[in-house]
Amino acid sequence: MRSLRYPLLGALAVAAAAYAGVASAKLGSCNDPILLGTTISETGPFSTLADKWRKLTEVFAEEVNRTGGIQVKACNKKVPIKFVIYDDQSVPATAVSLYEKMATVDKVDFFVGPDWSSMGGPVPPIGEKHKIPMVAANIATPALYDRGLKYFWGTPFPVVPRWSERYFDMLSKVNPKPQSIFFVTHDNPVMKGITGFWSKKAEAQGIKVVGNETFSPDLKDFTAMISKIRASKADIVYISSFDGASVPLVQQMRQLKVKAMDVHHVMLTGSLARQVGKDIEGMTGELAWYPGIKGDYSDLVETVMKKADVSMFDYIWTLGRLSSYLVMMQAIEKAGAIDREKVKEALYKGTFKSPAGDIVFDERGFPDNGAFTVQMQGGKVQVVWPQNVATGKLVWPSPTWQ
Amino acid sequence: MSIEALVQVLIGGILLGGLYALVAFGLSLIYGVVRILNFSHGTLLAVAGVAASLLYAAFKLHPVVIMLVLVPALFVFGYFFYTVLLQPLEKRNHFESTVGTVLVTVGALLILSDLTAKLAGATQRNIPLRFEAIEIGEIVISTTQIWIFGAIAVLTVAMQVFLRRTWFGRAIRAVTQDPVGARICGVNSSRMKAATFAFGSSIVAIAAVLYTMSFPVDPYMGFGLTVKAFTIIILGGIGNLVGALLAGIFLGVAEGLTGFFWKSEWAPALSVILLLGILVVFPKGLGRSR
Repeated sequence: MRSLRYPLLGALAVAAAAYAGVASAKLGSCNDPILLGTTISETGPFSTLADKWRKLTEVFAEEVNRTGGIQVKACNKKVPIKFVIYDDQSVPATAVSLYEKMATVDKVDFFVGPDWSSMGGPVPPIGEKHKIPMVAANIATPALYDRGLKYFWGTPFPVVPRWSERYFDMLSKVNPKPQSIFFVTHDNPVMKGITGFWSKKAEAQGIKVVGNETFSPDLKDFTAMISKIRASKADIVYISSFDGASVPLVQQMRQLKVKAMDVHHVMLTGSLARQVGKDIEGMTGELAWYPGIKGDYSDLVETVMKKADVSMFDYIWTLGRLSSYLVMMQAIEKAGAIDREKVKEALYKGTFKSPAGDIVFDERGFPDNGAFTVQMQGGKVQVVWPQNVATGKLVWPSPTWQ
Repeated sequence: MSIEALVQVLIGGILLGGLYALVAFGLSLIYGVVRILNFSHGTLLAVAGVAASLLYAAFKLHPVVIMLVLVPALFVFGYFFYTVLLQPLEKRNHFESTVGTVLVTVGALLILSDLTAKLAGATQRNIPLRFEAIEIGEIVISTTQIWIFGAIAVLTVAMQVFLRRTWFGRAIRAVTQDPVGARICGVNSSRMKAATFAFGSSIVAIAAVLYTMSFPVDPYMGFGLTVKAFTIIILGGIGNLVGALLAGIFLGVAEGLTGFFWKSEWAPALSVILLLGILVVFPKGLGRSR
């Protein structure tokens, strides 16, 4: 046995050195595709929001590579992209081990994704540890960007301070002007953050806040809350809630004949529309972007979504996901090299193009993305504000709530 | 706040409480006879509610027809669930039997929820059948809910008559009150337990259809309903259907008033607070078992 030990160890050392040599030669190579590592929540509780994104990501790569890929100055040519995709099962611990694997085994060049604030805590430090720039997608909690991470950026659409910016701009210009507003909030940190921010804005804009009620996601009977809304005679009912939790609220508001100029829902989605049926008619809401609104890369995004059979109304976080790819692409182009440090420099406080407008990162890597105001008209979603990009005319006050 | 708003809340609470009571009926009968705390009871309602919603969406079946489909299905499910998974545990000692039934029913809760979510999706579903509402001044009363409450009241009376006038009902009551005496009088105790478990499960089908007509259901909402049902049977008395109905209404109205005078976010927690309070102050319960 002893006679075999040293030759075996020697062979292993040579093999390891050879593997490491191959792997390190591949990183940043102009002759291989740029490897973008990502995880998608294809299974688990978040899968309803993301289960079509593998196909979406593959189609995105096909479309980009159709024209040769990303222009890299140092290579003096376009270099195609290739995604390494794993299912994080909506579990942060699984995502952590997968990003570690992509850094050490797959040896990806850059990270794009993941999504969701629950992943935003433990995953970005992996990029930091390996010095791999990470443009995450739908990680919206601002505090996660306050940790001094130097390799972490995010492209959530919209961010809390700009969530209802265009809606409140619309309220300041409509006729008749609303005088009062009632906030109904799902007991969740993001939704409470939206209400906290926009209730102050409403007061500042001269709209009196006549009620502010929070509800548990387990609440099914909203009679008490709706009685308060009715008694307040608020002009606007502002629902800050995830779509599923507010299904009985919307249904019971219709049953109990709530009257208002408008009922606004911050997550007006296809899922909500399917569950409440025609009760959604006339409601307003927010959407990051919608096909038909022209902007940078809008043709590419429309094509990718069409080929992957993804509807923006059903998968409302899709723009955040695609924007992480678009930003990384532009950062590599801007850096002019498949070099992690140069790409990191390009991302720092950078401005990047997206179909919904410029994505501008602050020094923390947090963007300032906004959303368009939409209204359900005849069973279809129409962008109604701002008027210069509207796909339909705002109906005000909403006749369905009269 | 106006008196109309308060009346509106009271009406809503009564209708909600009626639904809670219906959920509790089956659990009350099962515990009364079989002495098993079925933690999967509310989940069975959630699963049946999802099935009812799918049947309505696919075939536009009348809710009564959906009940006619689901009642025998859940009867058969309940019968086999008890005879295959729970009855064998009776041969074990008291400790193993108690722990075993908790594990089996909690395991069933998890499996039923995940399986339903996998097959039908985790999103909320309901039966969107709505009739014109009645408006009296500022008060709006949903006629759908009036029909539902009427159905619950009729069902309570029918079940009370069934338990008092039929042989099966008397046998259930006999086993509830004195299992040994019932066996001496010729009641086959183990078959009666299986039949009661199946009967209690089949009542869930009716509750599920009526619940899904009022509120959305999802595969993971069942445990909260089970806790409410536990509260109701402790308040109203094990095996006491009228007591359960009154306790359900009390809970529904209390939740409504909590939301109205305080904060809606605390309403779902009220049943747990009541349950703990009753268990501490009245460890033997408030209601009298019949």
